[in-house]
Amino acid sequence: MANLSDMRPVYVIGVGMHPYQFASDTLYIDMGLTAVRGALDDAGIAFPEVESAYIGCTGIGMAAGRIMFNHLGSTGLACTQVENASASGSSAFQMAVLEVAAGRRDVSLAVGVDKTGDQIRAVQKEKVSRLSDTATIPLVKYALMAEHLKKEKGLSAEDLAMVAAKNHTNASKNPNAQFRKPRTVEQVLASTLVAGTTTSLMCCPRGEGAAAAIVASEDAIRRLGILGGKPIRVTASVLQSETPQVGREIPSVTLAQRVAEMAYDEAGIKATDLDCVELHDAFAIEEILYTETFGLAPKGAGQHFLRDGGSAIGGRCCVNSSGGLIGQGHPLGPTGLGQVHELTRQLRGENGERQQPGARIGMAHMIGLGSISIAHILTKD
Amino acid sequence: MTALEKPDLYELDGTGPGLKLIFGRCAACEELHFPRTGYGCPRCGARPEQVTAEARAGQATLLTFITLHAKLAPGITPPCVVGEAEIAPGMIEEVMLSGGAEQYRDGMAIVARAEEVERDGETRLACRFAPEEEV
Repeated sequence: MANLSDMRPVYVIGVGMHPYQFASDTLYIDMGLTAVRGALDDAGIAFPEVESAYIGCTGIGMAAGRIMFNHLGSTGLACTQVENASASGSSAFQMAVLEVAAGRRDVSLAVGVDKTGDQIRAVQKEKVSRLSDTATIPLVKYALMAEHLKKEKGLSAEDLAMVAAKNHTNASKNPNAQFRKPRTVEQVLASTLVAGTTTSLMCCPRGEGAAAAIVASEDAIRRLGILGGKPIRVTASVLQSETPQVGREIPSVTLAQRVAEMAYDEAGIKATDLDCVELHDAFAIEEILYTETFGLAPKGAGQHFLRDGGSAIGGRCCVNSSGGLIGQGHPLGPTGLGQVHELTRQLRGENGERQQPGARIGMAHMIGLGSISIAHILTKD
Repeated sequence: MTALEKPDLYELDGTGPGLKLIFGRCAACEELHFPRTGYGCPRCGARPEQVTAEARAGQATLLTFITLHAKLAPGITPPCVVGEAEIAPGMIEEVMLSGGAEQYRDGMAIVARAEEVERDGETRLACRFAPEEEV
């Protein structure tokens, strides 16, 4: 398999977002165009410069991108729709990155846009029964894992609430976030109990929104006159799917570790080099598990990394400064690109009151139902 | 006689409410898997004709359990208890438990038994696990 490091350098040159929000009458085209125009303005280029586009979405229907791009001028660009569940936006980004890295295009756009769709999952059409009616519901799997870790390693409901309170509070400073209220540990614990010790504020909301990123080659950056310091290099792009469960660890957690290690290897870095991470915190327990599997904290000590402020903005490696899926929201198609938006602004030093001091290297990580895991590493040259 | 809710997963063992679980055994890799499907062996990818059904006693070890407080799926009525159980060596499945959480503890032996549930206005026999000593 060819590494990104063996291919042409690829840079993020522009990012844009439409705020995430609860289900509304806003048309997906309005949200998508807002994100794309934001990314074009951020890059300082016009739409005809974009040679190809990948659109990540799950609930809009067929040919969503082509219809949306009609309203930006019919330039004839290559256009492909990408669906990979929660990782649809991340996968659209990967397609754009690889296309530029391979030398096939010089400027490519990835946009994620979504509305709450019909929620039909392919697993419902598999016609394979399960002993438990909740066997394909991720929340139950993670709540069971939280219960196991409570008894095994002393993980408490307060630890889970601390993750959620941190991410809600980060989101309260993010104008693109779906939740905009700072929350305390006590408020999170007092919210509606859902499963085991998991409460509603420890879970991500469903919603809608859009996010976009434009990537380009060095040739294009020179030709388009994009200023030095603004482009952020993509140094790793890795995606794998899970293998059968061994022992107690959830397969998606084992998978996340493998993908992170592959990404570190591709980027030529160690976990300790990361300054900021946006990770898949659909449920609070996930953030604790992934900080361990990513090597930010020793195995079994994720809650200590959290309690010690290691994952706070200004900590050793800030985690989910955007608010994460819990606070910023999880509209599926855009989620992975919202992470790229956050990291790009962090690495440029443009993230305002959510700025991680001295940030140079960041990682975006998503899980897609099934499951797949995808990670991108962004580096300030 | 009341029909089973998921006859592809279990069958009555002939001792009242007791259930046997129906595994798949692959002739190509000789491995056991659960649930058995019509698609082949999920371990080695062998074709369906290589897989035979193997009914085994519905005995398991409970690993962890939680109470669900919200109606997360159409077939459940909260509060109810779900757990992870080892249904064969190294094979962990999510299972639905009978009754309240107070009767369970990690590591205990549990057994599959048929319990009546209502599905679309009809009564069916569903698989619920219960403490072994109770059955």
